[in-house]
Amino acid sequence: MKESFRQSMAWLHTWTGLMFGWLLFAMFVTGTAAYFQQEISRWMRPELAATADPVSATQAAITYLRTREPDAESWFITPPSARNPVTEVFWQPKKEEGQPPTRRKRGETSATLDGHGHPVTVRETRGGYFLYRFHFDLHYMPVMWARYLVGAAAMFMLVAIVSGIITHKKIFADFFMLRFGKGQRSWLDAHNVTAVFALPFYLMITYTGLVTLATQYMPWGVMANYASTDTFFEEVFPGRADVPRSGVAAPLVPVSSLMAMASRSWGGAGIGFVKVANPGDSTATITITRAADTAIAARGESMVFAGPSGTLLDRHVPEGGALATQSVMVGLHAGRYAGWGLRWLYFLSGIGGTIMVGSGLVLWTVKRRAKLPDPAHPHFGFRLVERLNIAAIAGLPAGLAAYFLANRLLPIAMDNRTEWEINSLFLIWAGVLLWACVRPQRRAWVESLSFAAALFAAVPIVNALTVSRNMLTGLVTGDWLFVAFDMAMVTLSFALGWAARKAARVELKATRSARQKSKELTTA
Amino acid sequence: MAVHPNKEGVHRHRLHVLARAVAAIIGGYVVTGLAVACLARLLPMRAAEASIAATLASFAIYACIVVTVFSTRSMLRVWIGLGGALLLLGAILYLAILAGGRL
Repeated sequence: MKESFRQSMAWLHTWTGLMFGWLLFAMFVTGTAAYFQQEISRWMRPELAATADPVSATQAAITYLRTREPDAESWFITPPSARNPVTEVFWQPKKEEGQPPTRRKRGETSATLDGHGHPVTVRETRGGYFLYRFHFDLHYMPVMWARYLVGAAAMFMLVAIVSGIITHKKIFADFFMLRFGKGQRSWLDAHNVTAVFALPFYLMITYTGLVTLATQYMPWGVMANYASTDTFFEEVFPGRADVPRSGVAAPLVPVSSLMAMASRSWGGAGIGFVKVANPGDSTATITITRAADTAIAARGESMVFAGPSGTLLDRHVPEGGALATQSVMVGLHAGRYAGWGLRWLYFLSGIGGTIMVGSGLVLWTVKRRAKLPDPAHPHFGFRLVERLNIAAIAGLPAGLAAYFLANRLLPIAMDNRTEWEINSLFLIWAGVLLWACVRPQRRAWVESLSFAAALFAAVPIVNALTVSRNMLTGLVTGDWLFVAFDMAMVTLSFALGWAARKAARVELKATRSARQKSKELTTA
Repeated sequence: MAVHPNKEGVHRHRLHVLARAVAAIIGGYVVTGLAVACLARLLPMRAAEASIAATLASFAIYACIVVTVFSTRSMLRVWIGLGGALLLLGAILYLAILAGGRL
C-alpha cells in the first residue's frame, strides 16, 4: 500500500509537472530576472546616471505637476532611490462629466523627471518592469485570463512539489549525488539537486505567489463575510475612496517637512511613495508611504496629511495577525526588502528553479524515448513535448537577449518603440519554436542553444558600440551596474554555449550508434 | 496506476485518469472553497482577519485534497469522501450564514 502511494505520487508529479512546465519555465525565467528589474531598467535607459536627493526631487516633481496637471484627480510620485536615479510620476486625469474614462497612452499620464523636476529625455522602454509584469500578466492577452492561467500553473507547481517530495524517498542522500555523462541518470540527478538545493525557496515562492493573488483565486473567504470584495477592501484599506473637490482653491504645504516627519517616525526609513489627492483644492490630502526596502511586509505603513495645513489626519498601520502574515508573504515573494546579498541569493534560487523545471521537462522525454515502440519515429504527443521543450528552454532566453538587443538597436525616435522592443522578444521566441518544429530534434537543440548563446554574447558588444557606458568604462569609473550586466550576459552566454556543446556530443553519439546499427543490419 | 498493455486497457486507464483529474481539480476546488468560507465565518477573529486567515490556508487545503484524491485506491471512496465533505461543509456554512452576523 505504501509503495503504491509513492507510485501514484510519482505519476502525479510527472503529469502535473508536464501540464504547466513550459509556462512555469517562463514564469521562473522572467520572475528571476525581475529580482533585478530596477537594475535592468537602468541598463535599458543608459542616458540616466546622476541620482538626486529624494526630498527635493519630490518637491520639484510637485512643482512640475502643478503646471502640467493642476486639476488632476491625484498625483503619484515615486522619489529617486538607491536603485532608481529618477523621479517617476503619474497622474489620474480629471474625469470628464458624463463621459466614460478613456484609455490613454502611458506617455500622456506619466513622466520621468530629474532632481530639478525637468522631464528627462530617455529612450522609450518598459525595461525590467515588463519582465516583472510578464511574470504574472503574460502578454498579448487579457490580464484577468493571464492571472488565472498563471494561478493554475502555480497550483500545479505546488502539487508537483508536494508529490515530488513524497516520491523522492532518499531526498537528502541523493542531494550529494550528481553523476555527469550518464544519460537519464544525469538528468534525474540534475533535477534532484536543483530541486533539493532550494526546496524551501520553491515551496515559499510558490505558496506566496499564490497568496499575492489569493483574493482573486479564492474569493470565498472574503465572500463569506462581506457583500463584495470591494466592501472588504474598503474596510481593510480605508481612505482609498475619492472625496469630491470642494472647488475652494488652497495651496499645498511644502512636502519636505512632512516627508522628514514621516521618515523620523519610521526610524529614519526612506519614503517609497507620495500620493496627492485633489491637488490645489481645500480637500487635498498627501499620503506618504514607507519605502519597501525597509521591512519584509509588502504593505508599507503610511501617513495621511491635510494638503493645505499639513496636519496629520491618519496613520495607517497594518493591524491584525492574518493581514500582517499576508503582507509578509507577499513581501517575501517580491523580495523588495532584500539587500544586495539576499537579492543575489533570490536570483540564484530562481535560476535553480529554472533549471529544476527545465531538467524536469527534458527528463520526461529522456525517460520515454527508450521505451518508444519505434524511437526513430515517435508519436505526435512525444514530438510535441520535445519541440516545445526546445522552444521554451532555448527560445525564451534567446528572446530575452533579443529584448536587450532591441533596446540598443531600435531607432530612438521610432514610433511604438516600447511595443517593438517587446515584439522582438516574442518574434525571436516564435522563430525558435518554428525552427524547432522543422529541424531534426537533436540538431534543433544544438542550433537553438547556440543561437541563444550567440545573442547573449552579442549584448555586451552591441552595447559597447551603441552607448558610452560598458564593462570597461564601468571598471574605470566605478559604474558597477554596467560591469555586472555585461558579466551576467557573458555568463549566460557561456552557460548556454556549454549546453549546446553537451547537446552536440549527444547528437554525435546518437548518429554514430545509428550508423553502427545500420552497418550491423546490412552485414547480418 | 500501471499502464495497461492492450488497447482497451489504455482506454480504461485514460477514463480513470480523467475521472481523477475532474475529482481533484473541480471537486477539490469546490470543497476547498466551502472549507475556506466556513473557516472565514467560524474563526474567532475580526471578520477581515478571519477571511484572510482562511484564504491563506486555502492553497494548502487544496493541495492536500488533490494528493489524497490521486492516492486513494478506489474511485468510489473518492466520490463518497468529496460528496460527504461537500454536504457537511455546505450544511455548516448554511447554518453559519443563517445564524447571522458579519456579512
